[in-house]
Amino acid sequence: MAILEVVDVTKVYEGKVTNRALNQLSFEVEKGEFLAVMGPSGSGKTTLLNIISTIDKPTSGEIIFNGTNPHLFNKTELAYFRRRELGFIFQDFNLLPMLTVEENIVLPLTLDNQPVSLMEERVKVLAEKLGLSGVLHKRPDELSGGQAQRVAIARALIHEPAIILADEPTGNLDSHNSREVLELLSKINKERNATIIMVTHDPIAASFCDRVLFIKDGEYFNEIYRDDRRQTFFQRILNVLSLLGGRVGDLSSIRLP
Amino acid sequence: MTFHQFAYRNVIRNFRIYAAFFMASFFSVFVFFIYSMLMFHPEIENGHLGKVPIGGMVIAEMILVLFSWFFIFYSMKAFLESRAKEFAILIHLGMEKRQLAKLIFMETMLIGSLSIAFGIIFGYAFSKFFFMIVREILMLNELPLYFRWEPFILTIVVYFSAFVIISVISVNFSPERKIIDLLKWYQYADVNDRFSKKRAVMAVVLLGIAYILALLTNRVNFYPFVVLLPVLITIGTYFFFTDTAQCIVQWMKKRKHYYWRKSKMLSIAEQTFILKNNGKMYFVVTMVSAAAFLCIGLLAALSSYTSQYDKLNPLGLIYKGHIDNPYEKQHITSIVNELEQKGLSYHLTRFEVKKQTSSFTNYEVEVFRESDINSLLFSYGYPMVQLESGEGMFIPYSEESIKKLSKRTVHTVLKENNVPITIDRVYPKVIFPSSIVSPNSIIISDEDFLRLKNPYSGYPRVEPGYHLFAFDIPQWLEAQNVGLDIYRQVQKEYEKNRYGLPFYFENAGLNYSYVLSMYSLFTLVGLLVAGVFLLAAGSFIYFKIHTNLDSEKRKFDVLKRMGITDGEIKRLVSAQLFPQFFLPWGVAMVHSIFAFLALQNLLKDIANISIVKEIVFAFSFLILLQIIYFYLIRWRFIAHVKN
Repeated sequence: MAILEVVDVTKVYEGKVTNRALNQLSFEVEKGEFLAVMGPSGSGKTTLLNIISTIDKPTSGEIIFNGTNPHLFNKTELAYFRRRELGFIFQDFNLLPMLTVEENIVLPLTLDNQPVSLMEERVKVLAEKLGLSGVLHKRPDELSGGQAQRVAIARALIHEPAIILADEPTGNLDSHNSREVLELLSKINKERNATIIMVTHDPIAASFCDRVLFIKDGEYFNEIYRDDRRQTFFQRILNVLSLLGGRVGDLSSIRLP
Repeated sequence: MTFHQFAYRNVIRNFRIYAAFFMASFFSVFVFFIYSMLMFHPEIENGHLGKVPIGGMVIAEMILVLFSWFFIFYSMKAFLESRAKEFAILIHLGMEKRQLAKLIFMETMLIGSLSIAFGIIFGYAFSKFFFMIVREILMLNELPLYFRWEPFILTIVVYFSAFVIISVISVNFSPERKIIDLLKWYQYADVNDRFSKKRAVMAVVLLGIAYILALLTNRVNFYPFVVLLPVLITIGTYFFFTDTAQCIVQWMKKRKHYYWRKSKMLSIAEQTFILKNNGKMYFVVTMVSAAAFLCIGLLAALSSYTSQYDKLNPLGLIYKGHIDNPYEKQHITSIVNELEQKGLSYHLTRFEVKKQTSSFTNYEVEVFRESDINSLLFSYGYPMVQLESGEGMFIPYSEESIKKLSKRTVHTVLKENNVPITIDRVYPKVIFPSSIVSPNSIIISDEDFLRLKNPYSGYPRVEPGYHLFAFDIPQWLEAQNVGLDIYRQVQKEYEKNRYGLPFYFENAGLNYSYVLSMYSLFTLVGLLVAGVFLLAAGSFIYFKIHTNLDSEKRKFDVLKRMGITDGEIKRLVSAQLFPQFFLPWGVAMVHSIFAFLALQNLLKDIANISIVKEIVFAFSFLILLQIIYFYLIRWRFIAHVKN
């Protein structure tokens, strides 16, 4: 059953220069799926993520989330929807510097006014699983990049959201930390049957997913499913990316007539 | 584009960014100029207000200069800090430190010159208006607008040098920072929350001692306390903001059931951060606000004194002379003539007051006759006195003394004539001002008074009594020029070491006009200084908030994505801003309340007036202003982080 349906979503930014960021984009995400969205810069990935996370409204088309359209909610309902159903992981972590690691993790639950005992219990479980038990009382600026992203993941998981949205989660990490984070995400995806939508540039990151959706200039371009071996999946992703890169004859303009 | 053009375009095209700094400078110049215009006014210099006011005005002007320098320095620093990222980009592109200094210098001078020019233009334009207010307050006949070069030169010199010095200092002495840090989010986030418990406790102890001492202040220990208390308060306040406040926040953080509730976690954690970065600024704001509160409170106290003047001085004119005063007839006739010339109605009561020795205290007591007093009371419209032979009544010397004396019963004998008197009452109203009658004055019946034949014999060279001429004048304010010659003689005699004249004269109307003009001057100076202080204290907070606005917006963007409702944003902003506005103010308020309690103790000894009502009124007004300011800033803040 599809947990998220994106139906003919179009987003036009009006301004001095009108920009069509998304054009008639449609796809579905199944429950428990780990989906990567790829595309070149400016293809509308971040716009798509913003629309799914309801902080931006589509110009036309709709988002169906578990059978309802959150864009029909009023502002307060939307805020409650986001804090309960969505979890976010950002490229630059966006941990709040004045809170300790532990406080950062429980933030979604405090906002939702959950009992302290529940928070403590979940923090304990998550910290153990993500290897954060030793740093719970540190501040975000005392952490390495990998640790910071794991804290952000913990924060995205603690309220057990229906969908986790990740925006280039490995963008600021080195290969070792990237790998660690990606393995963590896919483990969570399998163990908890969590639905994850990840926007990424990185074909290695995408190769950890079940399915990769390619968009280009705001439109659906292609999608491929994972097969048994990650290595071949990675190769296929690269193939699509090379197609995505440009048109035949793009480089010919360098030659002078 | 030359370097000069770059600096110029920076300022002119981004004026919005520079506006806050410009306004701060502009306002300083504006106030200073207007004030200088008053100080150099030919009318005032000609001695219309005497020597003291000019001295007072110069002191106020100096405070204003020092403070506005500090104020500009602070706003400059805050302003540069808010532009740190811009400078980082410039340095990134290869600008030298020297060039950056030059850029900042040129920009500052440009804004500075603009603010001096506008400050003077607007200042001159508003001078006439200001003079009109001053004229009303000081009750001068006229205070025309004038043109002299002094105020212009003074303002330009003071502020031009201020801008030069401040821009050089703030660039060259600013701490070196790495470009990479400047380009990052939360650039100055010094998020460690270390504090010293020792100092936290010390702050509380120091403030506690200072408050207790303030309550114990009296006339005897006044001078040592005046030196000691501000020192204690200053040190205590400093550590209070740097350590004690942190300690309290830390304590709150430990109680998870309280701390981990809704948006409370964010706002409390935020306080650690704010306190760490702004503790020193809070300290300055507190001290400045306390100074302003003291100014305003003193004014309120003075106004209470002037409004109670009428009650404390029920008589229009009083002439007091020795029994053998040779000028008596001449003076009284001239006063009466003057009063009649002016067409003022009056009621003259002549008293013959005899001094006697009381057997109760063995000191002198001044004895008034029942029928004399009744004559005056009749003209006041007060209830009459009824005394039998052997009965006596105290004459109160102040409002406070009425309560004290009413509980007292004294059996005494007037020694010289062996007249026994039982004093068991006090007249329930003040009849004479305290400067005229001694604290030991009584009324006795006519029969007893006639028995006082033998004169006072306690000290041989003391006058055995005096004559008192009390003029009750309903329109006493208009009688301020009556008896001016006699008044001048008395004033001249006062300046000598020993008072040698056989008479004494007091004109309530004239005294009142002096008190009033002194009071008005204090009002003028005090309100101005207080106004500038309060505005500055408010601006400090504004600048600090303005500097951090971008990182705040980032923070709220993250929170919004995580799902925070508009109501929660509002609550969060309130919780975050509230301590910034009201913590320093609250502490300053408490400081000044204790200062006033000390003052009240002191005044009880001297002038015997109560200042509670005025202080409460003044403070409620200030609190109201601050609340309005808080909501104004909150509104702007929310508007900024929301979009």
